[in-house]
Amino acid sequence: MTAVLAASAVRRRPAVSLGRWLEREGVFSWLMVALPVAFLVALVGYPFFYGIWISLQDRPVAKPGVFVGLDNFINDWHDPVFWQVVVNTFVYTSTATLLKMVGGLGLALVMNQDFRFKNLTRALLLLPFIVPTVLSTIAWQWILDPAFSVINWALMQTGLANPGPSWLGNPYLAMFSLIMVNTWRGLPFYAITLLAGLQTISPELYEAATIDGAGRWGRFRYVTLPLLKPIIFIVTMFSVIFTFSDFQLIYVLTRGGPANATHVFATYAFDVAMGAGQFGQGASIALSMVPPLALIILAMAIYMRPAKS
Amino acid sequence: MVAHSHQSRRDVLKLTALGAAGTLLGAAATQAAPKNLTMMHESSFVPPYDAFFKNNLAAAYEKATGIKVNYEVVSVGSLQTRVTTAAENGSGPDMTAIGFNWAFLFDDKFVDVSDIAVEIGKEGGGWYESAQESVVVGGKWKAIPFGNIGQLMNWRTDWFKQAGYDKFPDTWDELLEAGIKLKKAGHPFGFELGHGFGDNHGWLYPLLWSYGAREVEADGKTIVIDSDETARAVDFCRKFFKETMFEDVLGWTDVNNNKAFLSEQISCTNNAESILWSAKRDFPDMAKVIDQSENPKGPKGRFHMLNPLCHAVFTHTQDKQAAKDFLRWLMAPKQLGPWYDVAVTYYQPFLHAYDDAPMWKVEPRNLPYRDALKTAHLPGWPAPLSRAQSETIAKFVVIDMFAKACAGKSTKEVIADAQGQLKQIYKAA
Repeated sequence: MTAVLAASAVRRRPAVSLGRWLEREGVFSWLMVALPVAFLVALVGYPFFYGIWISLQDRPVAKPGVFVGLDNFINDWHDPVFWQVVVNTFVYTSTATLLKMVGGLGLALVMNQDFRFKNLTRALLLLPFIVPTVLSTIAWQWILDPAFSVINWALMQTGLANPGPSWLGNPYLAMFSLIMVNTWRGLPFYAITLLAGLQTISPELYEAATIDGAGRWGRFRYVTLPLLKPIIFIVTMFSVIFTFSDFQLIYVLTRGGPANATHVFATYAFDVAMGAGQFGQGASIALSMVPPLALIILAMAIYMRPAKS
Repeated sequence: MVAHSHQSRRDVLKLTALGAAGTLLGAAATQAAPKNLTMMHESSFVPPYDAFFKNNLAAAYEKATGIKVNYEVVSVGSLQTRVTTAAENGSGPDMTAIGFNWAFLFDDKFVDVSDIAVEIGKEGGGWYESAQESVVVGGKWKAIPFGNIGQLMNWRTDWFKQAGYDKFPDTWDELLEAGIKLKKAGHPFGFELGHGFGDNHGWLYPLLWSYGAREVEADGKTIVIDSDETARAVDFCRKFFKETMFEDVLGWTDVNNNKAFLSEQISCTNNAESILWSAKRDFPDMAKVIDQSENPKGPKGRFHMLNPLCHAVFTHTQDKQAAKDFLRWLMAPKQLGPWYDVAVTYYQPFLHAYDDAPMWKVEPRNLPYRDALKTAHLPGWPAPLSRAQSETIAKFVVIDMFAKACAGKSTKEVIADAQGQLKQIYKAA
């Protein structure tokens, strides 16, 4: 008799405790998170670690790889083009991001004013961001082609230069042109996001600041900027990541030329991995992006962290 | 990803079940003859060429054998990525068009087609020697050569005539002389020195070779780029650039010289037959004053770039024999001749039987493309096919050596740069 009772008690207990266990907040929240985590592991984590694994191999296309340790990274270290790519990527990313940040903030401040056709202007502002990059880049290809360039045409008509500058043929101008096109494409993202941030700032704060004697600059410096800081941080982080790993724009306009003057990590890694069929080497170039990118983001996070009051 | 999020669990189960059934069916199908084959090609510059395969060749083959041949066209520039994907995953098209040294790169994933290659050669009056350069790997044919998309000199006869030239200059030095006169007359040359694929390699490798220089010896190991011959070629290139061209060519990719030529900005460039094609279609008056010639001679002879289009069979193909049978059928004169004809020598045959084919009479200005085959080689020549060769191309080592010299660096510096890069690249080979 006691044996039977004991057995039934044993049988019943797990069902009860499983239900209760599932309802516990700690467990339930983890269950909810598990699915997205699995998703991330499958679609981001796996390719990432697979990339690391490949970068440690001598892995030609369509052939099995051989583990070589850090050989690929050592090769990169001794490759002069790799260092040119590093410098190019930093110049490209820092200049374009800075231009987008300053320009975007300025644009957002202007858009935050009241004027006629405000909504239409705001909508049009997004145009460079909406047009697919490959399409807009082909338009830029015409703009930057000296034979057909509207810029060169204007310069020649006004007698300022004849023939006009070689936008993509000169190494410095080519980098400059790419930065300009990237800025053109990325500006709306900055402007619209910052505009959204500006609209959340309560007008009372400005009133209070004015009463305290703050001028136009004072209001911007002590009210707008501190309150906008978290948003500037997020937007800049996104922008740095996207600019750092930019591919389409450069591949369509110069493919890294002239003489590697505009090669960046993504384009160089693609050429080596796909063009040369050296997956290991290509992966090592692409992965070299990660540490500096992580450092930049960490530094930004520390610098732009909202002050604790 | 978006599509997935709309799927319910039941849909997923259904799909899984279907997939399992499909696998079973697929396994069963290996025993029977395949009902269809797929051939992958890059979208041709000559649209009727693609249409002819789909509408005529595929239809005829289906009628004769009951096997449907699909023609999968990928966009220009994306073929290598697609071939890579198919080879890596072991799935996708059964046959593909390939170029350059891919027969070597994808060696393990391509079926040995030596038997039909030899047969086709016998039937077609013998293969050009250059045909074998890109497809024979370790003594085995890994693809069937189809045609070369040659790169030659495209020039304006009217402007050359004004400068006192009735025919195209025979040597690089004479071309330089002509270029100086033509640039003064407002008709500069425009040769690509940027990061394209065809139009830069098309003249810079031949230039290097014609001065007796090369990157690597025929042993595939000894690096010999640092030579007096290279220095002379580089010096010539710098002068040629400065005195006949303009800065923009340093940033050009393959589209730019076509645009510049057709908009009458330049009087001479190195290109495939596409310029004359477009001119005949869109600018008939200009087409009358365009001519095409072999590359000029240097101190050590005349050279051209080999730019072959070949057909390979993937090892993942269920019925390899069926794919080979199709290629064999395709390369028979009855099929091959008309297919070449629709593209009017845009693809120059690698079989001697077509040396005097009627298509050469349609446009006699294309004849130099046929003659150029005798002196055509792949970039990297005379070294055999290798991984290092691909890497040298992908890193634009030779192109950038010339481009840097044109942009102002000293000959010594640019050769040292190239030598350093080649040493690093070939060490692993």
